[in-house]
Amino acid sequence: MAESTISTQPVPQVARKPGIFSGRDRAIKIFLAATVIPMVLYMAFWSLFPILWGFTLSLFEYSARRAGAGGFLGMGGANPYIGLQHYVNMLDFSEEAPKIVKQFHQSLKTTVLFAFLVVPLNMSITLPLAVMLDSIHRRLQPFFRTFFFLPIVTASVGVAIMWGFIFHPQLGLLNGILTAISGKMVAIQWLGDPHLKFLGIPVALLAVIAAYLWQDIGYNTLIFIAALQSIPQSLRDAAKVDGVNSLQMFWHVTIPLLRPTILLAAVLTMISAFQVFDIIQVMTNGGPQDQTRVLVIDIYYNAFRFQRMGWASAVSVVLFLLVLVISLIQTRLLRTEWEY
Amino acid sequence: MRKQRQWIIVSLLLVLGLVLAACGQPSPAPSGEAPSGQAATGGEAGGEAVTVRVWTHQNESFNAGLQALADAYMAEHPNVDIQFETFDYDTYIQTLQTALPAGTEADVLQMFGTWTCSYVEGQNLDPVPDSVITMANAQEKFFAAPLAGYTCDDTLYGLPMEFNIEYGAALVNTAIAEESGVQDITAGWENWDDFIADAAKMSKFEDGVMTRAGYNFTAGDALGFSFYSLIVQQGGSYLDSDAQQFTINTPEGKKALELMKRFVDEKLVDPLLFNDESNWVGDSFFQQTSAMGLVGPWVIAEYAGDFPDVAAVTKYVPLPYWGDAPKFVADSGWGLTVSANSKVKDAAWDFVKFVTLNDENALQWNIASGTIPAIAANTQGDPGQKLITEFPHFEPFLPLLQYGQYVGHMPDRDLLWYDITYQHILNMLQGNESIDDALSAMEREANEMW
Repeated sequence: MAESTISTQPVPQVARKPGIFSGRDRAIKIFLAATVIPMVLYMAFWSLFPILWGFTLSLFEYSARRAGAGGFLGMGGANPYIGLQHYVNMLDFSEEAPKIVKQFHQSLKTTVLFAFLVVPLNMSITLPLAVMLDSIHRRLQPFFRTFFFLPIVTASVGVAIMWGFIFHPQLGLLNGILTAISGKMVAIQWLGDPHLKFLGIPVALLAVIAAYLWQDIGYNTLIFIAALQSIPQSLRDAAKVDGVNSLQMFWHVTIPLLRPTILLAAVLTMISAFQVFDIIQVMTNGGPQDQTRVLVIDIYYNAFRFQRMGWASAVSVVLFLLVLVISLIQTRLLRTEWEY
Repeated sequence: MRKQRQWIIVSLLLVLGLVLAACGQPSPAPSGEAPSGQAATGGEAGGEAVTVRVWTHQNESFNAGLQALADAYMAEHPNVDIQFETFDYDTYIQTLQTALPAGTEADVLQMFGTWTCSYVEGQNLDPVPDSVITMANAQEKFFAAPLAGYTCDDTLYGLPMEFNIEYGAALVNTAIAEESGVQDITAGWENWDDFIADAAKMSKFEDGVMTRAGYNFTAGDALGFSFYSLIVQQGGSYLDSDAQQFTINTPEGKKALELMKRFVDEKLVDPLLFNDESNWVGDSFFQQTSAMGLVGPWVIAEYAGDFPDVAAVTKYVPLPYWGDAPKFVADSGWGLTVSANSKVKDAAWDFVKFVTLNDENALQWNIASGTIPAIAANTQGDPGQKLITEFPHFEPFLPLLQYGQYVGHMPDRDLLWYDITYQHILNMLQGNESIDDALSAMEREANEMW
């Protein structure tokens, strides 16, 4: 008997890859795509594209005034491609370096100094303040939270004008108090005297930092209060059973448990400090002798007042890299591998 | 499951609606602003309907004066529609800088004369047709300083509406002068020694701190205009013969800075307390913490309303000068230009002619805006008298206008004035830099601009 020729082997079938929008949760996937894609496109257009465009501009000797003189999209032609020349120029530390390079060096130094003064000062004020506010009677807490948060919702320009009056040499509150105390006319030029320094730091910069901190502390205080309230009471009770006092509780329980929040607050404060502009622009306009000229002021003047867009873009790229690197370092240093 | 689908559909529609709303057209421009896409039909200002778009910066009195002239023009030319679009000052600068190279600007552009040639380099502005006015006639009609800003390579690219003057006469509080024992200050001074002696009498101190400056000249504009005017008064020049390099580090420059340093040494002003950042000259003068100040006459209109008592005792008094005439440097001031891309150039130039070349119209605008005329004839005779009746504080300036010299074409006048000249001279006056170092640094940094 002849064997049957009918193969019993299964017919090979091409495995169909499930589509992105297939399956039981197809409708949810479509919904997610429809809601997320517009936002991604929006972010790409308004954030990613400008970043890439800014980096591209930094490779050109670009000025909007010359944009019509030839080349593609205003680049090339009268706005020639110069590669990394702007970045190379930034490394010129000689006495003969052009003024814009010297101003960039000064701005970089001032920005770093500003940020590294603001962050620890902010943390050392806001954290204890938050602990204090958290410990007061619950009924009083909203009042104090509002009290410390109010400067945040005040326009920065208004804050700067107000602090400018406080520091005014002849009409200012600060010199008025000093005059009243000393019994003779005091007219210290807090914001305009380049000789005035404290521990080697220009007093004008410290004055600007004071105004900045006054406006900014409410934000971190609120973050810390929220974090403090989320610490489980059981952990505090356990510590109390172990006999810790208030200070030990703060150092050995509260601070370690707040580490992720401290990281978040430090990173946000640092980024915000690197971006400071309005308060300085109004209070000192970068003076005296560029002692308060930070990178954003430098970028603003070069880009919009003196139309050196290529150079300003290169400075912006440096600022971007600076913020990125410091944020990564902070994240690494303050990283925790647990949660409560 | 069905219910879930319905929710998803509703949500999708909602998201779609929001996206469409975000991408939709902005709300219509408020009245007074022209729709940007409106096409202007070119041609003569006689028959076919023509829309002429005009860009100006936001200045209430400037624009009210211009609107009045536009209304009069439209009444005479019913087929022409003049539409204004205004921008705040900073936005206007940026808009011009980006729109002109891109070719998206209006037909008529209000322009500060000093900026004009930088746009001419990009071939963005239309030369003034001979049918509007020839160069020779323009030179006869207008003062040299305002006209020069609109003249690039011997070609005229716009017409001035005002003479922008910041130097030549000092703002004086006559009440303070009298109270300080300065006799008849409005008679002026023979020389700088007399001036310094009077100004020093008006300075006031308390416990060694200057509470009132005798002569506040340490603001950004004042320092620049003083320095460069003092150079030209000595017969010097801060630009080389080709106007391609700055020549600031010269004996004339040194003598100018020595005089300015003398003002500080003789306690006319404390440059630490009086500068752009604190006690700016306009604020300080009207708050009576400066007895005299160096700032243009536009400041009166700005402050008189808030400080009527001070305005009532304020006079301008001509400053002493070196040489045989009170020479000074001046910016070119505001005027009108026409875009090279305009499709209605004839109508645009006709409107510009109506506003700037008709003596009566030009004077009407100067009176409405509180500015000094650029047309020489409007500062003399009956028109001059009419102007002085409206603005008595213009009187000391009018005889000086003929000596005005344009600051010169340079890559960036603001950079030279505020970032280089002001910074170094203030440093020098504050004792942080020697005169020689300041001169050499200014020259080097200024020449980095070319």
